[in-house]
Amino acid sequence: MTILNNKVAIIDLEIGNIGSIFRALKKIDCNPFLCENKNSFFTASHIILPGVGSFDYGMSKLIEKKLYEPLVESIEKNKIPFLGICLGMQLLATKGFENDNETNGLNLVPGNVDKIKIKNKLKLPHMGWNEVSQVKKSQLFENIENDKDFYFVHSYTFDPEDKSVVVSQTDYGDQFVSTIAKDNIYGVQFHPEKSLDNGISLLKNFLKC
Amino acid sequence: MLKLRIIPTLLFNNLKLVKGISFNSWRTVGSIIQSVRLYNLRKVDELILLDISATNQNNKIDLELVNEVASECFMPLTFGGGIKTIQDISNLLKAGADKICINTEATKNLDLVKEACEIFGSQCIDVSIDYKKNKNNEIEIYSNSGKIKTNLVFEDYIKKIENIGAGEIILTSIDRDGTMKGYDFETISYVSRVINLPVIASGGAGEFDDIYNLVKNSEISGLAAASIYHFTDKTPLDLKKFLISKNIPIRL
Amino acid sequence: MKNTNYIKYCSNCIIPETRPNTEIDSSGLCTGCKYYTYRSKIDWTQRHDELIKIIDVYKSKFKNNYDCIVPSSGGKDSTYQVLKVLELGLKPLVVTIMPDMLTPIGRRNIDNIKNFGVDCIEFSTNKILRKKINKFTLETVGDLTWAEEVSVSCETVRIANKMKIPLVVWGENSENENGGPEKNSDFFDNIVQAHNHEWFEEFGGTNGLRSSDLLSIWSDDGITEADLLPYTFPSKKELLESNVHGIFLGYYIPWDGHKNAETAKNNGLIVYDKAVEGNIVDYENLDNYQMRIHDYFKFLKYGYDRVSDWGSLGIRRGRLNRDKAIELSREVGGKYPKTYLGKNIKEILEYIDINEDEFQNICEKFTNKKIFKKNSDGTLLYDNSGDLIKINYDNPK
Repeated sequence: MTILNNKVAIIDLEIGNIGSIFRALKKIDCNPFLCENKNSFFTASHIILPGVGSFDYGMSKLIEKKLYEPLVESIEKNKIPFLGICLGMQLLATKGFENDNETNGLNLVPGNVDKIKIKNKLKLPHMGWNEVSQVKKSQLFENIENDKDFYFVHSYTFDPEDKSVVVSQTDYGDQFVSTIAKDNIYGVQFHPEKSLDNGISLLKNFLKC
Repeated sequence: MLKLRIIPTLLFNNLKLVKGISFNSWRTVGSIIQSVRLYNLRKVDELILLDISATNQNNKIDLELVNEVASECFMPLTFGGGIKTIQDISNLLKAGADKICINTEATKNLDLVKEACEIFGSQCIDVSIDYKKNKNNEIEIYSNSGKIKTNLVFEDYIKKIENIGAGEIILTSIDRDGTMKGYDFETISYVSRVINLPVIASGGAGEFDDIYNLVKNSEISGLAAASIYHFTDKTPLDLKKFLISKNIPIRL
Repeated sequence: MKNTNYIKYCSNCIIPETRPNTEIDSSGLCTGCKYYTYRSKIDWTQRHDELIKIIDVYKSKFKNNYDCIVPSSGGKDSTYQVLKVLELGLKPLVVTIMPDMLTPIGRRNIDNIKNFGVDCIEFSTNKILRKKINKFTLETVGDLTWAEEVSVSCETVRIANKMKIPLVVWGENSENENGGPEKNSDFFDNIVQAHNHEWFEEFGGTNGLRSSDLLSIWSDDGITEADLLPYTFPSKKELLESNVHGIFLGYYIPWDGHKNAETAKNNGLIVYDKAVEGNIVDYENLDNYQMRIHDYFKFLKYGYDRVSDWGSLGIRRGRLNRDKAIELSREVGGKYPKTYLGKNIKEILEYIDINEDEFQNICEKFTNKKIFKKNSDGTLLYDNSGDLIKINYDNPK
């Protein structure tokens, strides 16, 4: 399937920078469209959930917009390739612990989301360019060299129970999971749409999935 | 390892791109698009775009400009200037800003910052502080592009911002701004060490050796600069190469 | 909440606040006009004496070398400069750094200089690389003739350095003539502007782009530092030994481009048979077909152009009144450059391998949308001739 044939549904939780992901996708000549309601999923070849925001707010928006069930169905039943970016990846978890709340996530990839442990005077949020060390082969990183810098901006990380889904790790205090892949589900903690050439390559690779 | 960020700042005032000295003597510099395209070339890590007229002239936030810059700008973009409400922030993020930066409004109402962090996540909410030192070497915080002196106590203010959990603090020395005589080493290194949030140094970037000295002896997360890039032959890429030669983790 | 939606102009001339480096003070005057009023207070005899003192240092200093270099395009100012330098008794080497699309008039005027009895060098840069640079600078910084302007500054000084000719005599300091930042002007007697590294970086027309930027993106294509030397100002270290020193004649002599044109015409300068397209004079920028595009982009980015410049110079010298200048800026200025010196834009763009659609996209990108009228849907408004209209051509009454 060439990239041109793709219709990529972008879920808008109304709390983030949708513009960046749209621009990045347009740069690689695909057709992104805003996912407004459950019907959007029927025509989507790929789904992207970008994310800047807090876990509980993100989940509540998904539910409020009645996108929760259609999204889960599209991913689990219809096996549409899905990419969660930053918060979008974290929402795949079982639970998130943010703003002193315990919130249920989509539970599509079991595991929890928790705050980065501040060690040795590390600053939070983890903001800026950091190396993504690939620990497992994945289509997402085809033709992307190992240990390249991608742009991160988050205070929470996702710790999946099943370690076989871990594709890359990044070092900030401790090692944390920066990419996961499980069947048609992909998640990246960094922002490929803001990571210049390597980020664009990753998005291209995702669209080939 | 997390890299130190090199961040050019672009200031605009209504119709034009400007740069000043100590927030005065504003000089019109090149065109915005030209500058953004140049910075794209130079592998800068982020870009800060500030509308210095917004608050004082009670102007609407120029979403069109943000959109235009964001569409040219391949790296993360922070926008500041005249942000007063949650809706402002939402509009800006939609228009293409990755982070927003609140200055004057934060000096009046830190609850806005708190609420914004809760809704949008702290990672996209920066607080920018402009300050001068008085003759007793005490730090005085100014708002409204350096025009109004606030009564805020510096140590209290930065602690409050830390407790709220904003994304990062941009610290600008008005005295040094535009002089290219060096960042305010004393204040900036101090804040970077006592506050757990990332701190971006701003105001006075000049000689590379000076800059290295600040980086080596503080915990700053980023270096913002404008005059040095507008008026001299030093580019952000030159600075990056210099710092790499001194073993500072920098993205190239 | 209303945004300021008018461009502020100098109250005396028609230079807008949006022009880079221009300052309009609280009384409404721009630095160009202020400088001009200051001119009458300058002791020009003293300045001339200073010039003679400098000349004396270099005159016949070297039995087997030139006293100075005069950079020359063959234009009205260059012609005047060469004549002046000869009048001062110096033995110059005239250096012409060739433009990209040399016109027949340009060729004749370059040759005309030779009639004055001087040694001349013509230097052309690598044409293939040059075209690549032109296209790149148009797309990246909205300036088609970056290479020309930069190479004139850099390569001239490079030649001076190589040939150990320590004095380079430039013409006007454009920052004084057209209004630059007050702190950099010759308002204060103890500041003498020199043409040097710092001046080049700030005012040399680089638009912020440096040869190191070109090297960083093209080094994989085999471009090296050596290829970009004509666009790189020699370092201070390089200039130390030869002690190259650049002066602006415009500091020592009350500069007047119009009078220079008269002098030059009386000495063989050929001019256009009418005002060149997009301008109100017939004696400027006659040597390179690309120049109008260069000027057009200043209009798109900053809302000023040759008509603003020449109109303003004319107002200051009492040759033109302000209302007439405004009328001209509206009717003649800011037009889409369909032709220049009779050559069609398609041909001019073909030279650097760009078609007109691509060109118009680039124009749109660099247009400062705030200073032009828009349609109700927010897109730029073009008149029946395909030209943009500024939001205002004068200060609101």
